[in-house]
Amino acid sequence: MYLKIVLLKARALGALSRILRQGNGVMVAGRFILKFAPNAVEKLAENKRVVLISGTNGKSTTAKLIAEALGTKYSIAHNKTGANLFAGVAQALGANPNAEVAVLEVDELVLPWAIEKTRPELIVLLNLGRDQLDRLSEVRIVSSKWRNALTAKDKVLASTDDPFVVHAASAAGKKIWFSAQDKGHIDAATCPSCGALLNWQDDGANYSCSCGFKKPDANWNLIGEVLNGQFKVNSSIPGRAAMQNAARAFIVANEFGIDLESANQAIGSVKDVDGRFAKKRIGQTEFRLLLSKNPASWRETLETSAKGPKDVLLVINANTQDGKDTSWLWDVDFKPLKGRNVIVSGDRRIDVSARLTVDGISHKVVASEVEAAANFGAVEADLIASYTAFHRLANK
Amino acid sequence: MSQRVKIVNLLPELLGTYGDQGNVVTLSWRLSKRGIDNEVINASAFEKLPADGDFYFLGGGEDDAQVAAVELLRNSGVLKNAVENGAQVFAVCAGFQLLGESFPASGGRVINGLGLLPIVTEPANPRSVGELLADSTIGIGKLTGFENHSGQTRFTDKLQPLGTLIKGVGNHAREACDGVVTEQIIATYMHGPALVRNPKLADYFLSRKLGDLEPIDDQVFTELHSACVARGAK
Repeated sequence: MYLKIVLLKARALGALSRILRQGNGVMVAGRFILKFAPNAVEKLAENKRVVLISGTNGKSTTAKLIAEALGTKYSIAHNKTGANLFAGVAQALGANPNAEVAVLEVDELVLPWAIEKTRPELIVLLNLGRDQLDRLSEVRIVSSKWRNALTAKDKVLASTDDPFVVHAASAAGKKIWFSAQDKGHIDAATCPSCGALLNWQDDGANYSCSCGFKKPDANWNLIGEVLNGQFKVNSSIPGRAAMQNAARAFIVANEFGIDLESANQAIGSVKDVDGRFAKKRIGQTEFRLLLSKNPASWRETLETSAKGPKDVLLVINANTQDGKDTSWLWDVDFKPLKGRNVIVSGDRRIDVSARLTVDGISHKVVASEVEAAANFGAVEADLIASYTAFHRLANK
Repeated sequence: MSQRVKIVNLLPELLGTYGDQGNVVTLSWRLSKRGIDNEVINASAFEKLPADGDFYFLGGGEDDAQVAAVELLRNSGVLKNAVENGAQVFAVCAGFQLLGESFPASGGRVINGLGLLPIVTEPANPRSVGELLADSTIGIGKLTGFENHSGQTRFTDKLQPLGTLIKGVGNHAREACDGVVTEQIIATYMHGPALVRNPKLADYFLSRKLGDLEPIDDQVFTELHSACVARGAK
């Protein structure tokens, strides 16, 4: 009874925050729940089948696709605004206390807490790569934290292509292994298990170590758009990473006994996620918004964007959520931008300009996206933004 | 110099975690701008490490990678030979630490370094993360970087630091300095990358081997330096 009152008040607080235009109300409601009902997350998760999704890249997209697929059969609680810390999880559960299934994306460092509190039926482990090193420090430390949080009771859907994910996932009782045939890993020169040099073979398609650590055989193999040579996966979101995430949603739907045809249709109906790939008009220019957060997601985004319009604007900040150290710019190969009409903006546009200069990419530097739009004129353009710039633009 | 200048990027897959590769490509860019023929050799863990380079670079890396790197460097003897051949070395963070007598690793281990510098690195808490600003001791004005390290480093013999600290932690919470300069080694805790944010330091490093260098148009780097110094001073 007490919990119900807390949830009602939290919802009212969230609504008030929206009315007063203080934000979307998610964080304030979530924090209220955690403060006045500290065991709310355990309680609310008790009557639900919970799916947790975590990893460096693709959390929001994968969670959205899974929520759509499972939503064809069940009522869903889902942190769809991407609020993936403690308060975001609490708010998502509290906003829909009677949902049958909860689909929750969780920050990499919050995952151990979420596993303990929600006792999930399935944990989807996407990938681990360098990201916000000022906050997350080392990739292998995050991998070990995951490993320590997983027990024999847990079931994971995990990527064999990523040694850090494999190291963590191996601690779970039941493993569903997934491979998208990705090759190599920029951060995995050494074995996540013993620290010796990891032996990469077959042009990066396989890895093994003298300690016994090796790439597991996948239960599900994605080649192109086809899973296990049998199921063609629908994805309407551009890019290879999105296709992989659609395949994961398909596998989760299969685990939950969902009619696969309806699930696939639901997955294919998603065209943009929380503003990603959405269109935005500034001045005369029709921008397509792309989010990029770290070297791995930049590589993916530049590859996807290269198939898009010739005009492209990069907006890069270095606030807490972007990572305060812009050194990562030098871990990204910007040469795919060659020959395109490139403009740079954002708080750290000089850092980006220096980077592009060394890569031999001619570009213009401007103070704002409005100025960039004036330069581009009446065309379609891609706008690739770091986290805080993206959210400012997507919500405006 | 008529011969092609060789810049050796040592073990980038192990010591390339914090964008430090930017130092190497920037050195190459600065040489090419001056019409000086040069090449960057990315010397991988699975190949023979070349000892005939002019400039050597060691970047930052994670714990296990740092341990793997020091073993490879020790066994190959590459840096010792290169220094004997007159090469210049630039090292950042983990690369700085492994040049010393010892440094800490996961599980409370103490790892022997290469012994090229009289320094020891010890574990420290909390991790030092944030903007670093220093006055250079080599007459090139302010130095700016972003530090991100758990170990702290002290000198065991008399050494010249690269900078005296204005902001940040640098080598050690009690030492108020960053890095070290010897005849053939420059080392620092500055990422950013250091030679991108500090164009004068890049040219200082190059001129130690190549002599006086012609000025170049590197306005974007001097602008970046000023912006970073202003931000670091806040």
